[in-house]
Amino acid sequence: MSTLHVISHSPFGDNRLSSCLRLLGSDDGLLLCGDAVYALQPGSAPLASLQASNLQGRLFALEEDLNARAISAGETTRAIDYPGFVALSLNYDKVNSWL
Amino acid sequence: MKFAIAVFSPAHAPSSRRALLFAQAALAGGHEIVRLFFYQDGVHSASANVVAPQDELDVAGQWRSFITEHQLDAVVCIAAALRRGVLNAEEAQRYQRPAVNLPAPWELSGLGQLHEGAQSADRLMCFGGD
Repeated sequence: MSTLHVISHSPFGDNRLSSCLRLLGSDDGLLLCGDAVYALQPGSAPLASLQASNLQGRLFALEEDLNARAISAGETTRAIDYPGFVALSLNYDKVNSWL
Repeated sequence: MKFAIAVFSPAHAPSSRRALLFAQAALAGGHEIVRLFFYQDGVHSASANVVAPQDELDVAGQWRSFITEHQLDAVVCIAAALRRGVLNAEEAQRYQRPAVNLPAPWELSGLGQLHEGAQSADRLMCFGGD
Protein backbone atom coordinates (compact mmCIF):
# COMPACT_ATOMS: atom_id res chain seq x y z
CA MET A 1 0.00 0.00 0.00
CA SER A 2 1.47 3.31 -1.10
CA THR A 3 1.10 6.62 0.71
CA LEU A 4 1.50 10.19 -0.45
CA HIS A 5 3.03 12.20 2.40
CA VAL A 6 2.18 15.90 2.42
CA ILE A 7 4.34 18.32 4.42
CA SER A 8 3.61 22.03 4.72
CA HIS A 9 5.90 23.13 7.57
CA SER A 10 9.38 24.59 7.08
CA PRO A 11 12.15 21.98 7.58
CA PHE A 12 14.09 24.66 9.49
CA GLY A 13 11.51 24.84 12.29
CA ASP A 14 10.80 21.25 13.27
CA ASN A 15 11.61 17.59 12.55
CA ARG A 16 8.63 16.65 10.38
CA LEU A 17 10.68 16.25 7.19
CA SER A 18 13.39 14.10 8.77
CA SER A 19 10.77 11.97 10.58
CA CYS A 20 8.89 11.57 7.30
CA LEU A 21 12.02 10.56 5.37
CA ARG A 22 12.78 7.97 8.04
CA LEU A 23 9.30 6.45 7.64
CA LEU A 24 8.94 6.81 3.88
CA GLY A 25 8.29 3.48 2.16
CA SER A 26 9.88 2.63 -1.17
CA ASP A 27 6.56 3.15 -3.02
CA ASP A 28 5.61 6.30 -1.10
CA GLY A 29 5.63 9.81 -2.52
CA LEU A 30 6.41 13.14 -0.88
CA LEU A 31 4.71 16.44 -1.68
CA LEU A 32 6.14 19.68 -0.33
CA CYS A 33 3.79 22.63 -0.06
CA GLY A 34 3.73 25.93 1.80
CA ASP A 35 6.91 26.65 3.76
CA ALA A 36 8.03 23.03 3.30
CA VAL A 37 9.31 23.99 -0.18
CA TYR A 38 12.20 25.73 1.63
CA ALA A 39 13.63 22.20 1.87
CA LEU A 40 14.63 22.67 -1.79
CA GLN A 41 16.83 25.67 -1.03
CA PRO A 42 20.19 25.06 -2.76
CA GLY A 43 23.05 24.12 -0.48
CA SER A 44 20.80 23.47 2.53
CA ALA A 45 20.90 20.45 4.85
CA PRO A 46 17.23 19.53 4.12
CA LEU A 47 17.99 19.43 0.37
CA ALA A 48 20.98 17.19 1.02
CA SER A 49 18.81 14.78 3.01
CA LEU A 50 16.19 14.76 0.23
CA GLN A 51 18.88 14.04 -2.36
CA ALA A 52 20.23 11.23 -0.20
CA SER A 53 16.80 9.60 0.08
CA ASN A 54 16.52 8.21 -3.45
CA LEU A 55 13.27 10.01 -4.30
CA GLN A 56 13.54 10.07 -8.11
CA GLY A 57 10.06 10.29 -9.61
CA ARG A 58 8.29 10.57 -6.27
CA LEU A 59 9.26 13.99 -4.94
CA PHE A 60 6.79 16.78 -5.74
CA ALA A 61 6.29 20.42 -4.82
CA LEU A 62 3.37 22.80 -5.32
CA GLU A 63 4.36 25.17 -8.12
CA GLU A 64 2.53 28.15 -6.63
CA ASP A 65 4.37 27.83 -3.33
CA LEU A 66 7.72 27.48 -5.13
CA ASN A 67 7.02 30.62 -7.18
CA ALA A 68 5.90 32.59 -4.11
CA ARG A 69 9.27 31.87 -2.49
CA ALA A 70 11.45 32.16 -5.61
CA ILE A 71 12.65 28.57 -5.25
CA SER A 72 13.18 26.38 -8.30
CA ALA A 73 12.17 22.74 -8.32
CA GLY A 74 15.53 21.45 -9.49
CA GLU A 75 16.11 18.14 -11.23
CA THR A 76 14.83 15.75 -8.58
CA THR A 77 11.52 17.51 -7.91
CA ARG A 78 8.43 17.74 -10.09
CA ALA A 79 6.47 20.99 -9.73
CA ILE A 80 2.69 20.46 -9.82
CA ASP A 81 -0.37 22.72 -9.90
CA TYR A 82 -3.67 22.05 -8.10
CA PRO A 83 -5.18 19.77 -10.79
CA GLY A 84 -1.84 17.90 -10.58
CA PHE A 85 -2.23 17.71 -6.79
CA VAL A 86 -5.69 16.14 -7.18
CA ALA A 87 -4.35 13.62 -9.70
CA LEU A 88 -1.34 12.86 -7.50
CA SER A 89 -3.54 12.09 -4.48
CA LEU A 90 -5.32 9.46 -6.58
CA ASN A 91 -2.05 7.86 -7.69
CA TYR A 92 -1.43 6.68 -4.12
CA ASP A 93 -3.62 4.47 -1.93
CA LYS A 94 -3.64 6.93 0.97
CA VAL A 95 -2.69 10.52 1.65
CA ASN A 96 -1.05 11.40 4.96
CA SER A 97 -0.75 15.07 5.87
CA TRP A 98 1.89 15.93 8.46
CA LEU A 99 -0.35 18.50 10.17
CA MET B 1 -13.51 9.65 -7.44
CA LYS B 2 -14.84 10.77 -4.06
CA PHE B 3 -12.98 13.09 -1.71
CA ALA B 4 -13.53 13.98 1.94
CA ILE B 5 -11.65 17.12 2.93
CA ALA B 6 -10.81 18.09 6.51
CA VAL B 7 -9.64 21.62 7.32
CA PHE B 8 -7.79 22.21 10.59
CA SER B 9 -6.77 25.84 10.13
CA PRO B 10 -8.49 29.26 10.21
CA ALA B 11 -9.24 31.24 7.06
CA HIS B 12 -6.12 33.42 7.43
CA ALA B 13 -3.79 30.38 7.31
CA PRO B 14 -2.34 29.47 3.90
CA SER B 15 -3.46 25.86 4.42
CA SER B 16 -7.14 26.88 4.49
CA ARG B 17 -6.66 28.46 1.06
CA ARG B 18 -4.78 25.37 -0.18
CA ALA B 19 -7.72 23.22 0.92
CA LEU B 20 -10.09 25.50 -0.98
CA LEU B 21 -7.97 25.44 -4.15
CA PHE B 22 -7.70 21.65 -3.90
CA ALA B 23 -11.48 21.35 -3.49
CA GLN B 24 -12.09 23.64 -6.49
CA ALA B 25 -9.63 21.65 -8.61
CA ALA B 26 -11.25 18.36 -7.55
CA LEU B 27 -14.71 19.51 -8.67
CA ALA B 28 -13.29 21.03 -11.86
CA GLY B 29 -11.67 17.66 -12.59
CA GLY B 30 -15.05 15.92 -12.43
CA HIS B 31 -14.59 14.44 -8.95
CA GLU B 32 -17.04 14.51 -6.07
CA ILE B 33 -16.62 15.99 -2.59
CA VAL B 34 -18.70 13.89 -0.22
CA ARG B 35 -17.97 16.05 2.81
CA LEU B 36 -16.02 19.05 4.02
CA PHE B 37 -15.22 18.86 7.71
CA PHE B 38 -13.93 21.86 9.68
CA TYR B 39 -12.14 20.84 12.85
CA GLN B 40 -10.05 22.51 15.58
CA ASP B 41 -9.09 26.06 14.46
CA GLY B 42 -10.67 25.24 11.09
CA VAL B 43 -14.01 26.25 12.60
CA HIS B 44 -12.85 29.89 12.21
CA SER B 45 -12.86 29.32 8.44
CA ALA B 46 -16.65 28.97 8.82
CA SER B 47 -17.28 32.08 10.91
CA ALA B 48 -19.46 34.70 9.22
CA ASN B 49 -17.78 37.39 11.35
CA VAL B 50 -14.34 37.12 9.75
CA VAL B 51 -13.36 40.45 8.17
CA ALA B 52 -10.38 40.08 5.84
CA PRO B 53 -8.11 43.12 5.35
CA GLN B 54 -8.91 44.93 2.11
CA ASP B 55 -5.63 43.96 0.46
CA GLU B 56 -5.95 40.27 1.34
CA LEU B 57 -8.08 37.42 0.03
CA ASP B 58 -11.34 36.81 1.88
CA VAL B 59 -10.87 33.06 2.18
CA ALA B 60 -13.76 32.63 4.64
CA GLY B 61 -16.05 34.37 2.15
CA GLN B 62 -14.69 32.22 -0.69
CA TRP B 63 -15.41 29.05 1.30
CA ARG B 64 -18.97 30.25 1.90
CA SER B 65 -19.64 31.00 -1.77
CA PHE B 66 -17.95 27.79 -2.94
CA ILE B 67 -20.06 25.66 -0.60
CA THR B 68 -23.26 27.49 -1.49
CA GLU B 69 -22.60 27.39 -5.22
CA HIS B 70 -21.91 23.65 -5.29
CA GLN B 71 -24.33 22.76 -2.47
CA LEU B 72 -21.65 20.86 -0.59
CA ASP B 73 -22.04 19.07 2.71
CA ALA B 74 -20.00 21.34 5.02
CA VAL B 75 -19.83 20.20 8.63
CA VAL B 76 -18.29 22.21 11.47
CA CYS B 77 -17.24 20.24 14.55
CA ILE B 78 -19.64 21.30 17.29
CA ALA B 79 -17.25 20.83 20.23
CA ALA B 80 -14.43 22.72 18.48
CA ALA B 81 -16.86 25.47 17.41
CA LEU B 82 -18.49 26.04 20.81
CA ARG B 83 -15.17 26.48 22.61
CA ARG B 84 -14.07 29.01 19.95
CA GLY B 85 -17.32 30.98 19.96
CA VAL B 86 -18.55 29.87 16.56
CA LEU B 87 -22.28 29.40 17.15
CA ASN B 88 -25.41 28.87 15.10
CA ALA B 89 -28.76 30.27 16.22
CA GLU B 90 -29.72 27.13 18.13
CA GLU B 91 -26.48 27.00 20.15
CA ALA B 92 -26.45 30.76 20.79
CA GLN B 93 -29.91 30.39 22.29
CA ARG B 94 -29.01 27.26 24.23
CA TYR B 95 -25.99 28.90 25.89
CA GLN B 96 -27.53 32.40 25.96
CA ARG B 97 -24.82 34.05 23.90
CA PRO B 98 -25.42 37.43 22.22
CA ALA B 99 -24.37 36.60 18.65
CA VAL B 100 -24.74 34.05 15.88
CA ASN B 101 -21.86 33.67 13.40
CA LEU B 102 -22.59 30.34 11.76
CA PRO B 103 -25.51 30.70 9.37
CA ALA B 104 -26.22 28.41 6.39
CA PRO B 105 -24.58 26.75 4.45
CA TRP B 106 -22.66 25.41 7.46
CA GLU B 107 -23.89 22.67 9.74
CA LEU B 108 -22.77 21.94 13.29
CA SER B 109 -22.26 18.26 14.01
CA GLY B 110 -19.94 15.78 15.69
CA LEU B 111 -16.60 14.17 14.91
CA GLY B 112 -18.47 11.06 13.76
CA GLN B 113 -19.22 12.97 10.55
CA LEU B 114 -15.49 13.11 9.77
CA HIS B 115 -15.22 9.37 10.28
CA GLU B 116 -18.27 8.69 8.15
CA GLY B 117 -17.01 11.05 5.43
CA ALA B 118 -13.62 9.31 5.40
CA GLN B 119 -15.32 5.92 5.10
CA SER B 120 -17.50 6.94 2.17
CA ALA B 121 -14.70 8.71 0.27
CA ASP B 122 -11.87 7.25 -1.82
CA ARG B 123 -9.42 9.74 -0.27
CA LEU B 124 -9.40 11.78 2.92
CA MET B 125 -7.40 14.97 2.45
CA CYS B 126 -6.35 16.89 5.57
CA PHE B 127 -5.16 20.49 5.48
CA GLY B 128 -3.72 22.25 8.49
CA GLY B 129 -0.82 24.22 9.88
CA ASP B 130 0.65 27.10 7.88
